[in-house]
Amino acid sequence: MTENTAPYPSHRKTLKLIKLQEQLTGYLFILPALIIILIFGIFPIGYSIYMSLFNWQVTKGPFIGDKNYLLIFGSWWNLLVLVAGLGLMLLGSMVWGKAFQTLSHGRRLAHIAGALVLILGGAIFVTGWGMMFRTGNKDFLNSLIVTVYYALGTVPAEIILGLVLAYILYQDIVGKEVFRMIYFLPYITPSISTAVVFQIIFSSRETSLANRLIGLFGIDPLKWRFEPKPVLKLLGFKVNGLAGGPSLALLTIIIFGIWSFVGYNTVIFLSGLGNIPKEIYEAAEIDGGSKWDRFWYITIPMISPVTFYLTLIGFIGTFKAFNHIYVMRTPSAQNSVITTSLLVFDRFYKANQYGVATAQAIVLFAIILGLTLAQNKIMGERVFYG
Amino acid sequence: MDNSAAISIPEKAKTENHVGRVLGKAALYLILLVGAVIFIFPFFWMISNSLMTLGETITRQLLPKVPQWINYKEAWDQANFSKYFLNSVLVTLGTLTGLLFTSILAGYAFGRIDFKGKNLLFGIFLATMMIPESVTLIPNYLLIRGNIIPLPGGTWINTYWALTVPFMANAFSIFLLRQFFAQIPDELWDAARIDGCDHLRFLVQIVMPISKAPIMTVLLFGFTASWNAFQWPLLVTTRDTWRPLMVGLYGFVQEAGPYTHWLMAGAVITIIPILIVYFLTQKQFTQGIATTGLKG
Repeated sequence: MTENTAPYPSHRKTLKLIKLQEQLTGYLFILPALIIILIFGIFPIGYSIYMSLFNWQVTKGPFIGDKNYLLIFGSWWNLLVLVAGLGLMLLGSMVWGKAFQTLSHGRRLAHIAGALVLILGGAIFVTGWGMMFRTGNKDFLNSLIVTVYYALGTVPAEIILGLVLAYILYQDIVGKEVFRMIYFLPYITPSISTAVVFQIIFSSRETSLANRLIGLFGIDPLKWRFEPKPVLKLLGFKVNGLAGGPSLALLTIIIFGIWSFVGYNTVIFLSGLGNIPKEIYEAAEIDGGSKWDRFWYITIPMISPVTFYLTLIGFIGTFKAFNHIYVMRTPSAQNSVITTSLLVFDRFYKANQYGVATAQAIVLFAIILGLTLAQNKIMGERVFYG
Repeated sequence: MDNSAAISIPEKAKTENHVGRVLGKAALYLILLVGAVIFIFPFFWMISNSLMTLGETITRQLLPKVPQWINYKEAWDQANFSKYFLNSVLVTLGTLTGLLFTSILAGYAFGRIDFKGKNLLFGIFLATMMIPESVTLIPNYLLIRGNIIPLPGGTWINTYWALTVPFMANAFSIFLLRQFFAQIPDELWDAARIDGCDHLRFLVQIVMPISKAPIMTVLLFGFTASWNAFQWPLLVTTRDTWRPLMVGLYGFVQEAGPYTHWLMAGAVITIIPILIVYFLTQKQFTQGIATTGLKG
């Protein structure tokens, strides 16, 4: 007996040693990536926050606390009102959404309550925005509006076009690979190079391609990239400035954005469609579901995780977008094409106001974070995971 | 199944159905074709303009009368493209080597090795994908300038290191490879371990050869990111020494403004390497997207 138990502890020891070795190997393997991501990806966030608290212009100046942030918001009180409004709107939409799910008698009441909270939140939000606009940094707030226009102009269109093209390609199509390859091309090619072509296609010359194309419909030549006026105004509505919707210059950039990004969505949707079990479609076909029914009641819900992923990536992407906007912007389009990423870059690169620029970047980051969380909350609940 | 359908459906309805089906199919192809034309057209326009005379670009012909191949030579010489081109090739190669090294190792560790804090670390890695460049740009610039920590050689502005090192790892590549590596059956690892294999040998001799598709995907995305990079190189190169092609092209656009034919020739030159790599990796790339799948 005593002889038999002797080898056990040492055996256990080697097992422990193997486990330790396994752990060490794991750490060793991630070390190179960890070092680079820590230094160039994570450390800068902390350092940005640090920089934003100083009057930092090329070199570090005196500590000024929240001054750089106050320059943006006007006062913290403004921000509080704004965020409270947003929170109420989120709450209202959640109550409203829940009311659709439950079948209890309180449904109508919940609907009304949800709607009221939503309206109240909206009103408070608008008030907060107005207060901020009066005392805060107008350039920054304008850039947020431009960014939102850009995001709303590109992401939904990209999602819809991507899904439609992917769904068609998923049918029995000859030359599927060729089509997919062509659609992906704009995404993979350098945006600086393709933006140069778009500059020429959408140039303000009377003979430019875009102008000749609209000429076919009897429309007078437009200034495209150089036009700061809102599209709605050009269509005859009496609106002015940024409040009147995206400018024609921004619309040109939006067209470029859609053109270059749809192919990515198509490819991802296509692989998502491949993951939907064929049996479900067959079952629906036997039950007599039409093609349209199958698309609407099977494909859309089954593909929703992919749609969710692409929406998220798309919105984050538009808030981060820089290169093509930087190349396609013109001085005469004024602030109608300056998104927040461009504004931050200009503050830093041209005006050398590092402190102000980092504060603005941090706010942009906070907005992206908030957007991601809100999207997770709102859309995450409606996504159907098979 | 076909037979029973043929019996139950009257002859006339069947042919009508058939016609409808053909029409439907034709509509689908029409949509696909219109899409393809829209996606291709700017490239066609780029190439056709790059072969025109200056006069032809102004009167907007669709095609040049006589292709002016000389435009390419003129653009190449004027914009100092030979220098920029070489820079871009070297920067891309260096970045990709580093990127493959870090992401294959990390992807393997996250996919196949158990260690403490793995999920937390992976979560942190993934979160970095959300961070906008605007936030990291300014501290990274100071870092590269040598203002925050001392760097070997003082400052990295206008050096090769500034353009490559920060991009030698990213969460997306690690995530992509992890997804694939985690799916490799455990039996393979058990068998290898009995034969005396450690993790590194298993990775190099067995995992990597069967993971060509995801590795190609990482390569393609890494290649395009590095080749197409603009904002960062614009910031950290003030001289031609290491200035890459995209910054060179941007400068050329500012200078050669109205000379559309040269601009387009320059644009075509910058795109060609991407096209070659894309066509070569196309097949593995689509497989990579499908197998590492962005499921749920």
